[in-house]
Amino acid sequence: MDLARQNRKVNLVDLDIVEPCYTLRPIKKQLAEQNINVIAWETKETVGLGEAGNIIKPAARWALLNEGDVILDIGYGVEGSKTLNLLEGVDKEPNLRIYAVVNISRPMTSTVDEIVEYLKQLGNIHGIINNTHLGDETTPEIVQNGAKVVAEAAEVLQVPVIATTAERSVAEAIGKQDCMGNMVRPLDRFMPCTLW
Amino acid sequence: MSEKLITEEKRVFMTGNEVVAWAAVAAGAEIMYGYPITPQNEIMHYWTRLAPKYNRKFLQTEDELSAGFTTVGGVMAGRKAFTATAGPGNTLMQEPMSMAEAMRLPTVTIVQQRGGPSTATVIYSQQEVTMTTFGGNGEGLRIVYSTANHQELFDYTIKAFNVAWKYRFPTFVLGDGYQAKMRESLTVYDPEQKGIEFVPAEPYVGKPGTPGVDREPGHYRNTYNVEEELYEVLQGYFKDYAKMAEEVAEYQAFDTEDADVVVLSHGVVSRGAKEAVEQLRKEGKKVGYFRPITLRPLPEKELKELAGKAKKFLIVESAQGQFAKLIKDVIYGASVEIVPFFKPGVGITTDEIVGKVNEIL
Repeated sequence: MDLARQNRKVNLVDLDIVEPCYTLRPIKKQLAEQNINVIAWETKETVGLGEAGNIIKPAARWALLNEGDVILDIGYGVEGSKTLNLLEGVDKEPNLRIYAVVNISRPMTSTVDEIVEYLKQLGNIHGIINNTHLGDETTPEIVQNGAKVVAEAAEVLQVPVIATTAERSVAEAIGKQDCMGNMVRPLDRFMPCTLW
Repeated sequence: MSEKLITEEKRVFMTGNEVVAWAAVAAGAEIMYGYPITPQNEIMHYWTRLAPKYNRKFLQTEDELSAGFTTVGGVMAGRKAFTATAGPGNTLMQEPMSMAEAMRLPTVTIVQQRGGPSTATVIYSQQEVTMTTFGGNGEGLRIVYSTANHQELFDYTIKAFNVAWKYRFPTFVLGDGYQAKMRESLTVYDPEQKGIEFVPAEPYVGKPGTPGVDREPGHYRNTYNVEEELYEVLQGYFKDYAKMAEEVAEYQAFDTEDADVVVLSHGVVSRGAKEAVEQLRKEGKKVGYFRPITLRPLPEKELKELAGKAKKFLIVESAQGQFAKLIKDVIYGASVEIVPFFKPGVGITTDEIVGKVNEIL
């Protein structure tokens, strides 16, 4: 959304196709109004939750050919990351950057060792985003604690921390940088509106 | 067994399915048998991630009939075994769980309800109440917990294993796709650090010694030669169940003492019902809240007492009266008026419940 506000051409691609429960689909129109080209099915165009297979939207398969910034939303961890292989030109795109979004309140990625193990399974990544939160219970301390743990994991993996993200009011309480010196990106939460 | 999954109490952010897998590991479950179906799939996915690390096992079967019967087999071999299913998978699961009822096997089954009949919708409903509480043939006896949030999914999955093995009745944890898929925070803990003692599992078959000589023979039957034989066995089961029911039945209630209208709900719908009652009370309205946590056995004494006091019961559920049927059976003969608020297969909001109460007050 930041990129769109800078008048750049932004394409947001829904590749979260393994049993998506929270999806971009219900907020597609809302995002389009903010000048973002959302490449995603409408819920009414789909059947089931992909339990019997999912059809990738043709526009998503060729998404990398779009002009401007192309942001791929890939969910479902290690299995979900394989979705990337479905994209045309993914192995030839020199500007492709893969960022892993990590929340240390999620038990599978709650320690440095767990994060390292998990991210190694994802394959090649170019950076980590610290998105540590506890939903409505998030405090600056929770986010900062995440920043410390994520920074340590990033050092082990020899990848940079791209940013820390937090809900806008929490982000404002933290300031422009987290305790590790990473940029803090404020988030406006759409999640409550994105259930299926 | 490997080191513990949870060594200290902490707040975490998880999906409900993930919570169930963690709770099962924390409860000492040894093996899961399963067949995929939405919305319970991630229970299997997370269990299979955790299982190798904590020396647990997993078997994917060819269907839910097989998942249920292998769970039965695992329990007979003395393993804390469980399975998880939903919707049409739950239909198939009733056959093996009926066998578990006949043989008094402490199976644990997690059901994440989806819409029905048949394949219908993949995320949410409360339409599997009748099947999960009374899905077996004959006079099957079972325990069913209906959870409302992630904390309860954790607490009651742990409890289900203990209650099942203590009383030897198949036990179910009834959630739904919203709880399964939603992410929210909860406190996870090591049950033993909280003073929860695990009821040990023991094998039903293959015990040492000669049956009838060194030990009592084990008769685990689902077939009888004559009607009288079955009748006698069932009388014993009914007696055990009635005794157990007093100890196991659970509910939550507030503001019912002087209430003209009591809102009855279960599972995830009770979250909206609770908020609605709190809101209406603040407005000075005489409204109460009652939510059975065990749908079977129901807290019968408390329900009967309440039905003798309140003027109206507003029964709210995401089904066409499956929960209401259970309540009506218990309070038969009471003067309370039953007002239904049924929305089969769709969610119910706080505002809708407030609106309905205001309409009937």
